[in-house]
Amino acid sequence: MSEAALSPAVESRPIQATGLVTRIAWRNLWRNKRRTWLTAGGIAFATLLVTFAMTMQRGAYGMMIESATGLIEGHIQVSHFRYPDDTKLEQTLTKAAELMHAVDDLQGLEAAPRAGAFALVSAEERSFGGFVWGVDFDREVEMFTFFNGIQEGRLPQSDDEIVIGRTMARNVGVAVGDELVMLGSGKQGGIAAMAQTVVGIYESGQAELDRTLLFTRLTAVQNVFELGDELHVVSIRIPDHREVYEERERIQGALGQTYLVRTWDEYMPEVVQAIEIDRIGGYLMYGAILILVSFSVINTFLMIVFERTREFGMLLAVGMRAPLIMRQVLTEALFMWVVGVAVGWGLASVFVGYLMVEGVPVAGFEEIAGTFYISDRIYPAVDAASILTAPVVLLIGTQLAGLIATLRIRSIAPVEALRGE
Amino acid sequence: MSNTVVKCEKVEKTYQKDSVPVYALRGVDFEVNAGDFVSLSGPSGSGKSTLLNVIGGLDRPDSGEVTVDGVALSGLSESELTELRLRKMGFVFQAYNLIPVLSAQENVEFILQLQGVPQAERRERAEAALESLGLADMSHRQPGELSGGQQQRVAIARSIVSNPVLLLADEPTANLDSGTTEDLLGLLRRLNEQENMTIVTATHDPIVMSYTKRQVHLRDGAIERDALAA
Ligand SMILES: Nc1ncnc2c1ncn2[C@@H]1O[C@H](COP(=O)(O)OP(=O)(O)OP(=O)(O)O)[C@@H](O)[C@H]1O
Ligand SMILES: [Mg+2]
Repeated sequence: MSEAALSPAVESRPIQATGLVTRIAWRNLWRNKRRTWLTAGGIAFATLLVTFAMTMQRGAYGMMIESATGLIEGHIQVSHFRYPDDTKLEQTLTKAAELMHAVDDLQGLEAAPRAGAFALVSAEERSFGGFVWGVDFDREVEMFTFFNGIQEGRLPQSDDEIVIGRTMARNVGVAVGDELVMLGSGKQGGIAAMAQTVVGIYESGQAELDRTLLFTRLTAVQNVFELGDELHVVSIRIPDHREVYEERERIQGALGQTYLVRTWDEYMPEVVQAIEIDRIGGYLMYGAILILVSFSVINTFLMIVFERTREFGMLLAVGMRAPLIMRQVLTEALFMWVVGVAVGWGLASVFVGYLMVEGVPVAGFEEIAGTFYISDRIYPAVDAASILTAPVVLLIGTQLAGLIATLRIRSIAPVEALRGE
Repeated sequence: MSNTVVKCEKVEKTYQKDSVPVYALRGVDFEVNAGDFVSLSGPSGSGKSTLLNVIGGLDRPDSGEVTVDGVALSGLSESELTELRLRKMGFVFQAYNLIPVLSAQENVEFILQLQGVPQAERRERAEAALESLGLADMSHRQPGELSGGQQQRVAIARSIVSNPVLLLADEPTANLDSGTTEDLLGLLRRLNEQENMTIVTATHDPIVMSYTKRQVHLRDGAIERDALAA
């Protein structure tokens, strides 16, 4: 028989039960204060731990990205479309002066023009392959930490001066003040040769760089390698790495589609990878914590349902339908969540807030940090995901836990529940 | 429709206990008319509770039919039975009648709230019900702050506040002393006489039987005696 057929004998009117259910659920929550605080404490602890860890992770990633891009690469690079895959001399950005003008017109950015060429680097009888970058030292020093790593001497001040890496210096056998000869081919096919004085030696801590890269003034490279008013790369720094994609759009928009504008994650995939691996590790840990807490909530609610079997039997007997009883228990789970997350957030905001001011020292990082004048502390970074992940997952977890526990209510027979006082 | 409120026809109920059949009800034919005040008595295990539960739709008979206020219960789903109990019946059990976190007043209003009665009317009716049972000044106490007899009175208030066609009580006085028992029965008698409330109560207690208009005696799942009070 359908319910309609029963009418008006058994007419089921929809009722406004939210207030009723909410009141009973809230008071039920405090029937067993100790258990509620233990369970809510678990939720609070998980919220605190996951929020703290996620903001620290984000802070650390931010620092990794800043120190990786801040060394010399920049957040964004403009180049010829083929240059990244085919680093040939002829893949240039033409009309460099105009281009730099356009970039400099964009507010809030710093940009460094660069032109580079392969060359055979020799002194006396020894020769090694190297890559000579012509750069604007004033801008580079402003923007990057790399040239803070000059260990000996100074930066070039004229077109016949050059700085080289420690390893290169050792390989070729030169010291500050010695003469170095670079041999390559110019863009028009002519022989490019320059003889320069080593005025400085750097040590970046990255073997690959120290062994291959030489830096001289931009005009020197442009003249010797027959580049004229052309560049290979414009390296750009932005104030906040989190806005790198918006900034890329802005730059691409301003320069037009003839240029390749790439973000750091495209030319430094190893940094992305390191972050991804750490992120996955983090998610595994958060997952474990959140699942563990959810299980303790399941346990609590199974106990609640077990203890109140007789009460639920009575409620069914006097006419409260099973779905409404389930809703009442789920509301209780919701309150458990609210209390836990409120406490967890409260603690996290104090804790993370303090660390955002004070920072967390990174062990073993002081020396490098000192050399390159970058921070040796991690500052937690707050974003929506770091604040919301734990609460959202726990909301799902506690509601699922409540649901699993309340499924038993459907099978409560009032007669059985009320039997045997 | 006649004034028959409950009609049981050939109601049988058998339980399995350790795979031995226990005949709780063996073909019970039983009618309750509007305005009846019936006690179900009999030895322990004679089927009193089973009969009440079957009438209340808390348990289903194996065969036979139960009709309450013209509705055949065998045709109803579990949730329809729950709805029927809400609309037409009041229940008082031996114990654990009340929601421990609600005050007396809220416990009584609870049923009306489930029925969708608006707040102002709810309050008024609950207050009246509590008042009529002499609980006016205890309406804000929670069950834990009430004596056993007071709790049972609140349970009665809750069960009558919605004007059910039938009040079912399973040993409502079993946990009470004799003085309190007589108080409670006086209230039930008044309800029956003044409000014409139809009441069926299971009991062991001769005092209870002495208050009812009609005494039904069960033995081994069958009605042994069905007599009107002298
Ligand atoms: N769920 C059940 N499973 C097995 N047997 C049951 C069940 N419910 C009742 N019985 C049996 O059915 C018979 C009738 O039980 P019922 O509870 O109706 O008796 P009663 O008259 O209310 O007894 P009491 O005075 O002790 O309350 C008893 O023999 C009882 O053991
Ligand atoms: Mg019984």
